Amino acid sequence: MTSMEKSIIDVKDSKSNAANPWGSPEKRCWGRDLVGLFARCVLASSFIYLGTSKALHPADFLKLLRQYELVHDHVILNFVAIGLPWFEIFCGVLLLAGVWVRGTALMSLFMLVPFSLIVAQRAWNIHEASQIPFCAIKFDCGCGAGEVVICYKLLENAFLVLMGVLLLALRTNRWSLRYSLFRSA
Amino acid sequence: MSGPLKRTLLEALLVTVLGLVFAFGANRLSPRGLSLTRNYFPATTTPPVNVSGTNANTIVTPNPTNQTATSIQAVLDRLRSKGLQPIDVAEAKQLFEDPKYSQELTVFIDARDDRHYQEGHIPGAYQFDRYYPERYLAEVLPACLSAMKIVVYCTGGNCEDSEFAASALRDAGIPAERLVVYAGGINDWKTNGFPVELGARKSGNLRQ
Repeated sequence: MTSMEKSIIDVKDSKSNAANPWGSPEKRCWGRDLVGLFARCVLASSFIYLGTSKALHPADFLKLLRQYELVHDHVILNFVAIGLPWFEIFCGVLLLAGVWVRGTALMSLFMLVPFSLIVAQRAWNIHEASQIPFCAIKFDCGCGAGEVVICYKLLENAFLVLMGVLLLALRTNRWSLRYSLFRSA
Repeated sequence: MSGPLKRTLLEALLVTVLGLVFAFGANRLSPRGLSLTRNYFPATTTPPVNVSGTNANTIVTPNPTNQTATSIQAVLDRLRSKGLQPIDVAEAKQLFEDPKYSQELTVFIDARDDRHYQEGHIPGAYQFDRYYPERYLAEVLPACLSAMKIVVYCTGGNCEDSEFAASALRDAGIPAERLVVYAGGINDWKTNGFPVELGARKSGNLRQ
């Protein structure tokens, strides 16, 4: 290899690295995979823990759900109280195993985003009615973790939403049993 | 719609369907499973823990330990509106110490779940978790039918389980005039330093 050819290759490499914030292709792959695994584990453990706490005491969860006054039909209320805890556990197990990761991440976002908005709305109502500073409000939001300081809960949910978005965006299938429904991982 | 997006949506749909099948299967197998069709909150309008709507000025915070005098009054008003007679701690203590209690002419009914009942209940109280009435009615109903006074309680404060349990007992045939609701509940009982019984009924494991 002439010195001219070598310098052309060096320039190409440096351009490729400048466009790629993850570094070399091998490093980029490992970085993405580790971030994807981290996001899956965080989201999965959170769903399994919170879902289990609710599934073990469904009547308590039903009472808390009722306090939101979102639905007045008892069958719909029961449907949510029965379905949601076990559905969270199901999604958690799928994420942990790496099965249908993007579809499950999407469903996680469908649960997390509206729920966070509803909790924030209720906290705001309490704030307005009681004049308690918003971040000092503490109540059992029905999340499965008992009484929580609302600002911490919203931050935690924002972090979980970020994990879900990362899983949708990253498309990393390493350490997954079956990443996609349509092709094997 | 792009291919990857369509595939993700299809996956999400499948996760939803399978997840719901799993959820209702697990609920059916769980000893604490709920019924889909039973109305657990019959004949009620709004739950007491609520900061919007008509009772916005009565509840400062949903934390039951931060009850205000106005919210206690709201609980009493709610009980009376349901045709239930509330009693306070002095009356509850009087009924507890009355010899009729040892003769089972007065009975106490704890409307909380098993976990809370085991952690401490009014000594000698029967458990009646209203979410699973079929498990308790066989024991509770004969005791209530032969009693002259039935005191129903739960945690206290905004807890509504005692009200619903009393209503359920009334619907099961217990005369309404015999039923009273101890609105302060077990929290009030403990705060006043009265004894509680741990574990099963008549376990003899008392704690002040």
